[in-house]
Amino acid sequence: MNTEITIYSLLGCSIVIIALALLLLLKIKQARTWLSRAQALQKSLDEMDEQAKLIVRTDIELNKTQEELDKKIAGLYALQRFSRAVSTTLEENQIFSRIETGFLEDLGFEKALVFLWQEDKLPRNFLNIGYSEEGLKTVQSFIESNKELFAHLIRKEETASSISGFAVGKDQLNRILKVNSFIISPLSPREGNKGFLFVGTENTDIVITEGDEELIVILANQLGQALENARLFEKTWKAQQELEKKVDERTRELKNVLEEVKRISKRKTDFISSVSHELRTPLTSIKGYAAILLAGKLGNIPQEVRERLEKVNRHSDELVHMVNDLLDISRIEAGRVTMKQEPQDLQDIAEKVVDLLSLQAKEENVELKCAIAPDTRNILADHNQIERVFINLIGNALKFTPRGGKITIQSCRLEQNQVQVDITDTGCGIPPEAQEAIFEEFYRVDNAINQEVKGTGLGLALVKHIIEAHGGKIWVRSKIGAGSTFSFTLPLA
Amino acid sequence: MHIGIGISTSRDHILAAKEATEAAQVNLGKKKIDAAIIFSTIDFAHPIVLKTISGILRDVPVFGASSLGIISDQGIKKYGLAVVLLAIQEDTYFNIACVKDISKKGALLSGKELGEKLLYGCKGVRRNLSIIFSDGLIPNGPELIFGLQEKLGRSFPLVGACASDNLTFEKTYLYFGGEVLTDAVCGILFGGKWNFGLGIQHGWKPLGKPRRVTKASGDVVDEIDNAPAAGIYEEYFAKSIPEFKKDLKRIAMLYPIGIKIPGEKEYLLRNAISVKNGGLLFQGDVPEGSTIRLMIGTKDSCLEAAALAAEEAKKNLGHHTMKFALIFNSASRLTLFGRHAYREIEVIKEKLGRNIPVIGIYTYAEQAPLSAINYLGKTYFQSHTVTILGIAG
Repeated sequence: MNTEITIYSLLGCSIVIIALALLLLLKIKQARTWLSRAQALQKSLDEMDEQAKLIVRTDIELNKTQEELDKKIAGLYALQRFSRAVSTTLEENQIFSRIETGFLEDLGFEKALVFLWQEDKLPRNFLNIGYSEEGLKTVQSFIESNKELFAHLIRKEETASSISGFAVGKDQLNRILKVNSFIISPLSPREGNKGFLFVGTENTDIVITEGDEELIVILANQLGQALENARLFEKTWKAQQELEKKVDERTRELKNVLEEVKRISKRKTDFISSVSHELRTPLTSIKGYAAILLAGKLGNIPQEVRERLEKVNRHSDELVHMVNDLLDISRIEAGRVTMKQEPQDLQDIAEKVVDLLSLQAKEENVELKCAIAPDTRNILADHNQIERVFINLIGNALKFTPRGGKITIQSCRLEQNQVQVDITDTGCGIPPEAQEAIFEEFYRVDNAINQEVKGTGLGLALVKHIIEAHGGKIWVRSKIGAGSTFSFTLPLA
Repeated sequence: MHIGIGISTSRDHILAAKEATEAAQVNLGKKKIDAAIIFSTIDFAHPIVLKTISGILRDVPVFGASSLGIISDQGIKKYGLAVVLLAIQEDTYFNIACVKDISKKGALLSGKELGEKLLYGCKGVRRNLSIIFSDGLIPNGPELIFGLQEKLGRSFPLVGACASDNLTFEKTYLYFGGEVLTDAVCGILFGGKWNFGLGIQHGWKPLGKPRRVTKASGDVVDEIDNAPAAGIYEEYFAKSIPEFKKDLKRIAMLYPIGIKIPGEKEYLLRNAISVKNGGLLFQGDVPEGSTIRLMIGTKDSCLEAAALAAEEAKKNLGHHTMKFALIFNSASRLTLFGRHAYREIEVIKEKLGRNIPVIGIYTYAEQAPLSAINYLGKTYFQSHTVTILGIAG
């Protein structure tokens, strides 16, 4: 019985052990599967991590490129704004005041200095961004003591920077200028003081690239160009000022001379006026006595005396005429004669004068033709004075037109409500050099006819005064041997 | 609530202060000014600027922060000053407070002190939201939030921004009254009937295998997977420690560490700011035992996140109409977007509505709940996010 129990027990135990062993084997297998799965998972996680590393490294490179691109674009924008700002001024001092902190920041810097100097003088500061007064003093003395090194850089037109280095030594420069990175670029305008532009940053995160150097060189070139333009402008402006000053001086001198001429002219007019008045009285007496003698009121006079007296009488008439003309000129010049400008008929005046002179014309076999245009008849003028103008001009034409010649009086309407009258003759003509002078008092053209034809040299001067007093102009067009045309303008009514 | 925004980029600081304040006054209209927020680039972190503003606004409480850039309807200003004037309705309670000398007092105690000051006189009023600005370079930033939450409540809606400088990480500034402060925190607490909608997203995605923080204390992580923590960057970027030390700030801004938070959908991001004996010093704590991942962001993923954050802010406001939006955007995002940063602001404006005024700053860290679907979520100290606070008033 006991043996049976033992056998059963052993059998049972064996079964349990076998079952447990089987279970254990199963669990081990399961654990192995899980382990292998966990290992696979771990492996894929590690792989994923490796991929993540690749992604991160690529991403950071991309970000870096993007940042550099952003920096470059921001720099270009800043450069564009800067260029616009400095190109809108032509004052040297204004150029530097237009460099704003914003431009610099966009270029990645917060400090900037500009020093300019003449070769034999000390560097002068023109721009200071980011330095206190004390800081600037230190920088100034540093630059003064290393002036030759900076001058060399400017002469060679080289750029110094944290990348390319500088003769002073990067570390020393960084310490004194309190920056971590810097760029120095020469400012070399063709004229005047030369110097350099310094930009720097304290930011240790900013690494200066060759691209930054290029941008600062462009900026310095633009500054140099702006300085050059400003200096050229200054030079031109000064030259212009000088010229204006000279013109002013000359104008003042001319004004003084003109005043003097006016004064002399007035004295002349006054003199002529008073002399003419003084002359008229004795002339009247001479003419009166000559007339009495000629009339025989004091007894018969011999023929020879009569002839001489007639000459005295004729010359007295000419002298009276001359005195009257002189008096008229001086009155007009002195403004004592006012033109009574009233509506007149130009044709009436012209024809009346033509009638008056037609006999003389006939005697000299000169054709006298009057052709006043209908739309020019109504003029605004002083009747008597304009009549004198016609008498003088047609009279002159008659004097100088040879027999068989022709004198034409024509008119045409001008713009600005004016009429132009042309008196054309077929006379001997006036030499070009005399065409202006004939309107001056006592001027007579030096030719054979004038030596024969009598005249005072006052007629045309009087005519000019009358026309100008009407607000018109007078001129002559003439050619030797081809006749002359005297033209004048008058206002239309 | 009504808002009046004025911005100036004048080089003359006094003129800029006058211009910005007067423009803000004009934009606010004749409404009574209750408070003013000042945002500026560090160029304007000067007492004369605040004195000029205070001189114009007289007794109006003023607070604000410095930044790498100002976000506005006119784009991103990397040089400028913004004055934001608030006209708060009568049934809304608000209190503005400031705590100085954080490094002396400790971040936790400073947070508690700010909480107490903000709550002063607020008994019996239903608290709604707090907005805080803190020095972007103080250590233990999360402790500050922890201390503040101890007083205001762990799930109390809290939105904050860490001031920034121009990425030199040297000095960031806070503005309070007429003072320009460092090592300080200031904020405003709103109570009463008040409606706002919050949207927070970052857009960074996990990359590579999960790793475990095996030795850490506060902001310092000594070991990851039982190896020196800095090794993670060495490994991923194939650069030795001295090599990447120089580029660490930039690398960490683009590739932060993400901490998996149980119960939260998003990873909590942390910026490594320096290497210490083979370990990494983070801006914010990384708990020992936590699972972390290296994170990667692209312009597209971040644009999507910005759009999502704007939609969330709008959605969370319910049927209320948004009057304006405050944007606290990570400086890391500005680094990632580079000259395309304007696109993110465009996307946000597109989603919020072109007519909604926006104003904000770029920050070194943000404080906001991780999941914004329920704005009663717990606020975390985090980085790389775009935090959009839509306010209906």
